[in-house]
Amino acid sequence: MKLKVGYIEIRDIMTADKAEVRDGVLYVDTKALEAIALEDEHIKSVKFDVARPGESVRITPVKDVIEPRAKVEGPGDIFPGMTTKVATVGSGTTHVLRGAAVVTVGKIVGFQEGIIDMTGVGADYTPFSATNNLVVDFTPVDGITAHEYEAAIRTAGLKIAYELGKLGKNLTPDETKEYDFPSLMEGIKKYPDLPRVGYVLMLQSQGLLHDTYVYGVDMKQSLTTMLSPTEIMDGAIVSGNCVSACDKNTTYHHQNNPVIEDLFSEHGKTLNFSAMIITNENVYLADKMRSSDWSAKLVDYLDLEGVIISQEGFGNPDTDLIMNCKKIEETGTHTVIITDEYAGRDGTSQSLADADAKADALVTAGNANQVVTLPKLDRVIGTLDYTEKIAGGFAGSLESDGSITVEIQAITGATNELGFSRLSAR
Amino acid sequence: MGKFKVVHYINQFYAGIGGEEFADHKPEMRDGVVGPGMAFAGAFGDKAEITKTIVCGDSFFNENLAEAKKTLLDMVRAEKPDVFVAGPAFNAGRYGVACGTICDAVREELGIPVLTGMYEENPGAEMFKDKLLIVATKNNAAGMRDAVPKMAALALKLAAGEQIGASIEEGYLPGGTRVNFFEKERGSRRAVDMLLKKMAGKPFVTEYPMPDFDRVEPNAAVVDISSATIALVTSGGIVPKTNPDRIESSSASKYGEYDISGVEDLTPESFETAHGGYDPVYANADADRVLPVDVLRDMVKEGIIGKLHDKFYTTVGNGTATKSSKQFAAEFAQKLKDDNVQAVILTST
Amino acid sequence: MVLTSLKRTLLITNNPLVHEKYADKQETEFVDDGFQGVLKAVRDHVHEGYRLLTHPLSGSVKPNENPYKTVLLARSFANTDADSVMLVEQCIITAEKFEKKVIHDKHLHDLQVVDLSLISEVLERNRAT
Repeated sequence: MKLKVGYIEIRDIMTADKAEVRDGVLYVDTKALEAIALEDEHIKSVKFDVARPGESVRITPVKDVIEPRAKVEGPGDIFPGMTTKVATVGSGTTHVLRGAAVVTVGKIVGFQEGIIDMTGVGADYTPFSATNNLVVDFTPVDGITAHEYEAAIRTAGLKIAYELGKLGKNLTPDETKEYDFPSLMEGIKKYPDLPRVGYVLMLQSQGLLHDTYVYGVDMKQSLTTMLSPTEIMDGAIVSGNCVSACDKNTTYHHQNNPVIEDLFSEHGKTLNFSAMIITNENVYLADKMRSSDWSAKLVDYLDLEGVIISQEGFGNPDTDLIMNCKKIEETGTHTVIITDEYAGRDGTSQSLADADAKADALVTAGNANQVVTLPKLDRVIGTLDYTEKIAGGFAGSLESDGSITVEIQAITGATNELGFSRLSAR
Repeated sequence: MGKFKVVHYINQFYAGIGGEEFADHKPEMRDGVVGPGMAFAGAFGDKAEITKTIVCGDSFFNENLAEAKKTLLDMVRAEKPDVFVAGPAFNAGRYGVACGTICDAVREELGIPVLTGMYEENPGAEMFKDKLLIVATKNNAAGMRDAVPKMAALALKLAAGEQIGASIEEGYLPGGTRVNFFEKERGSRRAVDMLLKKMAGKPFVTEYPMPDFDRVEPNAAVVDISSATIALVTSGGIVPKTNPDRIESSSASKYGEYDISGVEDLTPESFETAHGGYDPVYANADADRVLPVDVLRDMVKEGIIGKLHDKFYTTVGNGTATKSSKQFAAEFAQKLKDDNVQAVILTST
Repeated sequence: MVLTSLKRTLLITNNPLVHEKYADKQETEFVDDGFQGVLKAVRDHVHEGYRLLTHPLSGSVKPNENPYKTVLLARSFANTDADSVMLVEQCIITAEKFEKKVIHDKHLHDLQVVDLSLISEVLERNRAT
């Protein structure tokens, strides 16, 4: 599969009567977007706000972050099976409004989490301090269940991002990249001397607030399977995961999966990127056994020389990660795993909930229990009412001077286990 | 701001007194720099000054631990430095242990920040890297030129009370504490690079070494337990009253082998625990609670097991090094095999 | 719908919503204790010959933010299931390292809903073990 991705640089977002992209500025028509959000009967009202890099703004509680993209040419459309028809995406041409993001905010449950600071020390820990964010704050109708509310926000966020993405459809990109993912045999013929490498992407799939959708399928109902990495760039994987802000993969992370990006950058040079495998992280232990067996079977069948395995979330996914790693190593395939750590505030506790000697090549995205004090910022989008309750916040964490002391696990993307950021630990 | 005050600790060799034959040299404190202190002074520039250098023989330190520690602590206390620096000891074992021990004491008892330097395989590194900052050095004094700038920079940070970065940034040996920092490359890029190295059989360094669980595969089940000889082994410290072999209450250096032929029940008059890591009241009142001789005698009578072995093996698990435990077990496991014991019940506390 | 194939299973929970929904459909033990209390009850049952069907650290809400926990067990095929012993002990250690936190009453219901949702996903599906 071959996908051409055209990047249109966005350096600001402004509200206007006419939606368009002009001179690197994304003009949004919030009235039209509001109408899209209110198509869902579960949403009572919606507020729009813009947060720009460097501004004294704190966004919380963040649910998802989504990048506006548009399908320019080729089959299917962005977010297939979710907000557009099911059809295989990942080939043709896609345009990206790079530097812009839709950030959805809403208190789905009381302990909902996720902080994005646009400036100060907190900004160093989240990649979304560097994007121009259209923040959408949702209020649900009364009496709605958490399931309905989560689904409503998730869908509305995707639709709004889709609408914005379309504005880049007819523009000339500032930069274009080509991602060529050949079929198995083609790849072998083309690069006979390069080691064949795969990527096992683990997706959170435990239940309410912990789900991931692939072409609209709830991933917990799937066995380990395969697709082209270019499909993921077209929104084949969507986040329904609201918990553990630091190490959940937002939809934006999926769209810009850094492992895929970095494997492509070596593709045809030092390695042959030959397989994209996705697996789940279920609650049921038998599912964990089955899914990791399947990952190993696929890797073995494809005769890969090495794979990178990335994790999502805290706690029991450590078990999935170690199972995947161990079983894949046992097929004779080299593995490198990416995870994060919960080593306690002082860094002296055991970092992972599971471990195995075979996991001898590990990349860490840092200790999520590290404490930071975030300064008071001029403006809060969303609400600070729940700051105490977010993961990593603790009783009394909201100080009288407006600063908050939290563990970095409260910050969206701080210890992302796709290796999206530079934070690490030793 | 004035200069930070540094006290430097070195052994008799680096003080120019002499080698092994002078290792009994008693602690002394001199003004200013001695030996490697010169290099440190250069690296500190005008930011810090070594006001005193303490010299002590390696043998003296290790063989007169309590006295040496007290003398040295008094010297450091009197000088009130902003930071205490020991070594570097490179791969000199006793020097390394001395540096680690005195640094640990100065930090614990005087609350003064401390720093030392060693080669990663120095026994002192193994003992102290989880508790102290130990700058990684080469394995001999030729590494002085590398070690001093790293140690001096870190010493200045400690003196100023600055945040210490991760081991890989600062150059100290990774210990039990995980510290966050920002890498140059993002995680995914590092993963790709690590995989390329791993596939090519080139050396690579994992960012988190897995804890060593040392899991042991269980043996096959005993076929007929009703005719088997079963032995009892414990790390709960059960010993005959008065602890005849003086097994230590923690960090045990030995194990005991005791005869229980004819003993039906462990009584408070005849058995007790040597273990210092738990409340001994209940074990001393009835040692069967840790080493269940009484229950096993019953099981023999009921025909559930064949025989209780005449001897039991015991040590104290409290802080005892894994290496020692392995060595103890290897010895008595052979004895148990020679005595045709089919199964062992291991009890802990 | 709870399936007959799960008859030999035991649900251990301190979540009133779970108890309310499943107690008459499935053998359920209500533990009147916190997160660790449930894990320890699970551990005790594991030693009595049950094995874990669900991961004791299910959910990404950290153990110190969520007082509710539900775990599904089954009668073991053999005697004590060593893997279950190892896993539950590891989970107890992992949960212990999180600092204690005060949880507001107003969030308790939401936390119950999430815990219920995680276990419902398992109970409502007919899965071979």
